[in-house]
Amino acid sequence: MDADSDVALDILITNVVCVFRTRCHLNLRKIALEGANVIYKRDVGKVLMKLRKPRITATIWSSGKIICTGATSEEEAKFGARRLARSLQKLGFQVIFTDFKVVNVLAVCNMPFEIRLPEFTKNNRPHASYEPELHPAVCYRIKSLRATLQIFSTGSITVTELWK
Amino acid sequence: MTGRVCRGCGGTDIELDAARGDAVCTGCGSVLEDNIIVSEVQFVENSGGGSSAVGQFVSLDGAGKTPTLGGGFHVNLGKESRAQTLQNGRRQIHHLGNQLQLNQHCLDTAFNFFKMAVSKHLTRGRKMAHVIAACLYLVCRTEGTPHMLLDLSDLLQVNVYVLGKTFLLLARELCINAPAIDPCLYIPRFAHLLEFGEKNHEVSMTALRLLQRMKRDWMHTGRRPSGLCGAALLVAARMHDFRRTVKEVISVVKVCESTLRKRLTEFEDTPTSQLTVDEFMKIDLEEECDPPSYTAGQRKLRLKQLEQVLSKKLEEVEGEISTYQDAIENELESSRPKAKGALANLTRDGSVEDTTSSVFGEDDAEDEELEAAASHLNKDFYQEILGSGLSSSSEGAGDPDGDTRPPALESLLGPLPTAASLGISDSIRECISSQSQDPTDACGDGELDLSGIDDLEIDRYILNEAEARVKAELWMRENAEYLREQREKEARIAKEKELGIYKEHKPKKSCKRREPIQASTAGEAIEKMLEQKKISSKINYSVLRDLNSKGGGGLQEEDAQPEGRTATRKLSRRKTPARRHRADPVTGVGKRLRPMVSAQPAKKAAAGEPLPLSPSTLGAEPARPTAVLVESGPVSYHPEDDPDEDDPDEDDGEPCVSALQMMGSGDYGCDGEEDDGY
Repeated sequence: MDADSDVALDILITNVVCVFRTRCHLNLRKIALEGANVIYKRDVGKVLMKLRKPRITATIWSSGKIICTGATSEEEAKFGARRLARSLQKLGFQVIFTDFKVVNVLAVCNMPFEIRLPEFTKNNRPHASYEPELHPAVCYRIKSLRATLQIFSTGSITVTELWK
Repeated sequence: MTGRVCRGCGGTDIELDAARGDAVCTGCGSVLEDNIIVSEVQFVENSGGGSSAVGQFVSLDGAGKTPTLGGGFHVNLGKESRAQTLQNGRRQIHHLGNQLQLNQHCLDTAFNFFKMAVSKHLTRGRKMAHVIAACLYLVCRTEGTPHMLLDLSDLLQVNVYVLGKTFLLLARELCINAPAIDPCLYIPRFAHLLEFGEKNHEVSMTALRLLQRMKRDWMHTGRRPSGLCGAALLVAARMHDFRRTVKEVISVVKVCESTLRKRLTEFEDTPTSQLTVDEFMKIDLEEECDPPSYTAGQRKLRLKQLEQVLSKKLEEVEGEISTYQDAIENELESSRPKAKGALANLTRDGSVEDTTSSVFGEDDAEDEELEAAASHLNKDFYQEILGSGLSSSSEGAGDPDGDTRPPALESLLGPLPTAASLGISDSIRECISSQSQDPTDACGDGELDLSGIDDLEIDRYILNEAEARVKAELWMRENAEYLREQREKEARIAKEKELGIYKEHKPKKSCKRREPIQASTAGEAIEKMLEQKKISSKINYSVLRDLNSKGGGGLQEEDAQPEGRTATRKLSRRKTPARRHRADPVTGVGKRLRPMVSAQPAKKAAAGEPLPLSPSTLGAEPARPTAVLVESGPVSYHPEDDPDEDDPDEDDGEPCVSALQMMGSGDYGCDGEEDDGY
């Protein structure tokens, strides 16, 4: 069926967010001074480091917790995280790569047809919630899969992780 | 008539006198009951001569509120936190609701929602105002009143999305499905605000029709209903010869000017817009349009398709170019056989640019175009080739060697792409190798798996010293303001420390939740409560006991009481310096108690309260009474206590105990000195 093949084709993972810990305290000032692609946000106490190869942005805290965003697949996220840890090692910190966990995966998908949001909400009462004053999309939550979908009337759907 | 049996004579004829509250047996005359609690309405005469009923109104939700004993107990002893929260919430709901002109039924419903929210602990961690606003908006939605979330946020001066988040959460938790907002609801409200005078109704009707049409054309999904209303009203006004500018409409409807314009243009795109005013009122077009976002999407798709077609055409052109390329290359090979060897050697080196230019530089005749071609080894190369190919193909037509040595130029041209991209060759290699890496690398032990990580590139991420200095300077300049603030703050703290008034702002410790007191009798409960609340121990315990249990065990308490007093007094002597610190909160407490103490019956009760502490705690550990704060400061009511305490004791017929004896001066001589303070 054409529609099925279109749906299967279109779903694209656009973002993978992961966290990991380096079991050591990181001196943000040193990283900020010696790292090439870093932004030091002193007021909130974190360093943003951007890598080019797996195009990722990492937020580094002094406690050793690092959040890595912008990867386009889970493997890439892990690879990027490891590169990051390696570069921190080169800067001189005793980095141990532990507790790697993928926290959020964001994907987009396009339906070839438009969707009627008010009727859709009525038919999917407990899961769907639609507030036109606040956001033009219907927010559909699937608890079993821990997913939140944002459904727009143009037919594009954003799938992300369910918080709470 | 209760039908009781008289104790004396066994007769059943018992007369109840409601006024006096007596139950008397008519047979033998013995009084069975007196002071019966009667449920009668009593009337009292006013100053004006009229009479009014005696009594108080008790509210429905004020359950658990104990009536004030003798009046004046302002301490929140009787109210629990939950009742307070509900009362507070109710007050705020009414306040907000009146501003929105909601009727009483709505306000009550909102209060019910609030009660549900409180019972589900949804108010924790959220501003009360937000929760109240969410409850009110929920009511507005279920009742269908034309109130927008924007109105509420205007009243509260809160971001509308924050309110929306709270509202969504509330609706989800309470499992209330708020019906979707219909823009038609807002029309009467906005029309009224736009002041159409007599024609208000007609304009509203027209606007409604417009809205229905918009809905059928799928313009309303995903849009703010107020925006659609604004557009409909604007058009309706114009249709009825009212001049309402866009500015007026947006000030009423609260959307942006560009939004309104966009809606109007979207409406323009629908076929309905082509009808005249009269036609519109009469006819309703059958066909429905697609939503505007969908048509926009379709347009984009079409553009993409066009682009694809174009790119295909480009490829064809490129194909032509490559054929010309081949032709030229053949000619080259045919014209310079010896150069081929040199070329072959040099191509292995990889530095093709120089060879080609040097090789091409040898012959002049055909070299001019070729030289130019060689100098541009990027895309311009193709343009030049094309230009040169046209000219040389005419010459090359003479050469019979058509396709003898195509590979030579390919080998010439082959390394060109890689030469241009030498810089990323190792990274490409790395990418390839990285894809082959296994997901089974050991991560459990925490060691960093270095496979596939190119150290060289990572080294590039680390700046050298000069760069680091430059960067530091840049950062300093960027964040100068923040650094300045930090320094000022530190200076301020240092100054305050010098002056000795520096207060460390410790994060507020959340007060520990006290466990509910479990006691078997009222007296015990009060003891425990006062233990927790740490009110002064100078208050006479025995009086409280007397209140509860009529004179039973009064003697014992008296004996216990002087002991208690002296013991605490002794401790107070030892620990007076410590007390003085504690005295501050206690005097605060004492001050609170003093007005209570002034009223006599209240005094007795208050007096009696904390003292049961002392005997009970004494028995346990002598150290415990340190928790009981003994005021060594001026306690003016204390001497008043004693004579008052004496009186009821004497009235009860117990042996007279002098004040001094009560204070136990006989046992502890030194205490007499302390008592001089009083």
